[in-house]
Amino acid sequence: MIKAENIKKSYGSRENRFSVLKGISLTIEDGDFIVILGASGSGKSTLLNIISGLEKADEGVIDFDGTKIESLSEEKLTEFRKKYVGFIFQQYYLLPNLNVDKNVKMGADLAGNKDYREMIQAVGLGEKLQKYPHELSGGEQQRVSVARALAKKPEILFLDEPTGALDEETGRQVLDYICELQKKYHFSICMVTHNSNIAEMAKKVVKMNSGRIVDTYTNEVQKSAYEIEW
Amino acid sequence: MIIGIKDGMKLIGIFVMSFCAVFVCTLFLNYNMDFAGIKEQIAGPELMVLFDALLATGKVVSALAGGCLLLTSGIMLVFYIRNYIDTHKKELGILKALGYSNLRIAKDFQIFALSVFAGTALGFGGAFLMMPEFYRTQGKDGLLPEITPHFHPMLAVELIILPTVAFALLAVGYACIQLRRPAIDLLKERFSMPRKPFRGKAKEDTSADGIPFLKEVQSATLRSKKTLVFFVTFGSFCYSSMMQMSGSMDELASEMFACMVFMIGVLLSSITLLLAITTVVHGNTKTIAMMRVFGYTHEECKKAVLGGYRPWAYIGFVIGSIYQYAILKIMVSVVFRDWDNVPDYKFDVKACIIVLISFTILYELIMYCYAGKIKKVLLKEVMME
Ligand SMILES: Nc1ncnc2c1ncn2[C@@H]1O[C@H](COP(=O)(O)OP(=O)(O)OP(=O)(O)O)[C@@H](O)[C@H]1O
Ligand SMILES: [Mg+2]
Repeated sequence: MIKAENIKKSYGSRENRFSVLKGISLTIEDGDFIVILGASGSGKSTLLNIISGLEKADEGVIDFDGTKIESLSEEKLTEFRKKYVGFIFQQYYLLPNLNVDKNVKMGADLAGNKDYREMIQAVGLGEKLQKYPHELSGGEQQRVSVARALAKKPEILFLDEPTGALDEETGRQVLDYICELQKKYHFSICMVTHNSNIAEMAKKVVKMNSGRIVDTYTNEVQKSAYEIEW
Repeated sequence: MIIGIKDGMKLIGIFVMSFCAVFVCTLFLNYNMDFAGIKEQIAGPELMVLFDALLATGKVVSALAGGCLLLTSGIMLVFYIRNYIDTHKKELGILKALGYSNLRIAKDFQIFALSVFAGTALGFGGAFLMMPEFYRTQGKDGLLPEITPHFHPMLAVELIILPTVAFALLAVGYACIQLRRPAIDLLKERFSMPRKPFRGKAKEDTSADGIPFLKEVQSATLRSKKTLVFFVTFGSFCYSSMMQMSGSMDELASEMFACMVFMIGVLLSSITLLLAITTVVHGNTKTIAMMRVFGYTHEECKKAVLGGYRPWAYIGFVIGSIYQYAILKIMVSVVFRDWDNVPDYKFDVKACIIVLISFTILYELIMYCYAGKIKKVLLKEVMME
């Protein structure tokens, strides 16, 4: 379980200091599917980076199963990410000079996962093991990054606009893969998006506006990736 | 203009190399030119032998130093340009897409010759500052008539203007060739990958059950930038050969000579190594950032990105040792062949060990500095670009 309390973050130096997060509290239960929804520039990515331990907050406490993340040293934080966290970004960030197989291996090696090829099969890329990222379509690249993130068997998966660069068809497909895999491996999901339709897939929705949470609600039924509007 | 003067001046490696090359060549060639003028004043066959030996040394040294250094700076320039195009694919791609011709874009690359001009000009000027001292040491036995330095304009043209023009042409020509790809390839950041690394199923399967990811990254970084392997090897080669050579030179030639070789060795090798390793780190910021995100430690990132170069560095060292031995052997037998009491040259094991130790320290020091640089790679920067 992750419990973030009163997270604050600003950027810039004294005169043009700009407050991006103005006191955010948020709880992610084990096995949860949370969507953080908000307009561009509302601070979603910043929040995600902070609760996942990529960036430091100015103020606030983040408690991950009893560990206070904000006070961890750089080494401990690395160790923490290695053990518990998976990431998927809008831009995929695959390693350009390694093929699909080895990109996924990057995640797998961290967890000592020898059966990582299963994960590549699971996202439907079993035939493309030896392809390099630039030889894949955007949707395929994003599926590789899904496999890469899940091959390290994370407890929680953070996704920042995973479908932001994809069209409807491929976007749905990627989301569907993620949901199917969640059913199988039971990790928690924390996803950032500005597409309010995607929020209907979530269990819990957190709405943000200019650095504050303006609304939190739970969906009674979670729709599948093919049932939502786009 | 896409390439600023700043970009052109950034090629420190080329600057230093052209500086060293022209510095050495100017000293020796200028001396040779002045010296050749006093041939009539030489009396006696013994002095004639000395006279010929000095002239020959000058020629050998300029050819060796100038030739090697200029050749390397040529390779380095080519490498810089490729690297520049690689890291500016998007901008160049857009220019091409907008309809700029290859030649129009490539023309801007002549700026890169600026560093050659700066290096050669300063090297030439520096040599003239050193000239009186150099002339004194060369003629210190007092056997030969004293000579004073003269300025030879032809030499300035040959050593400053000619290299600059040649490098400008090389830069434009090479850039033109490199840009001859469809704009879309540049825009999409297609990497030039080896197309056929997989020889059937057998190899695929071995990669599945074993080679750790870190090793994979190591070999992939080596494969994707082969020129860097060359520079790392070359850097350690220079260090090894020149340091050991300068140790033996003390006995065979003048002290000043040894000192010069020493300085060039240190400069050349550290700059080549630094250049190569900076490029490695820069070219892999994305990889490093992503590895950090996933929870690889700094140490692991360093190993993955830089570790693969270590064996090559030591291979360079070994080649350098052999090379310097061979060169000195040849020099002793050719240049001094008519002399009586030239000490026989033997491989100096002690010098070799000392140089090896100092090299190891230097190499690890550079690696240590770059580990710090790797620590500074911020995910945020990569994501914001
Ligand atoms: N490193 C930084 N330095 C300065 N300002 C920053 C930095 N990172 C983010 N910001 C600012 O913080 C604000 C929120 O950024 P953030 O990336 O969190 O928005 P977002 O909600 O994810 O938007 P989008 O949907 O466009 O990705 C923006 O106004 C941005 O300019
Ligand atoms: Mg964002």
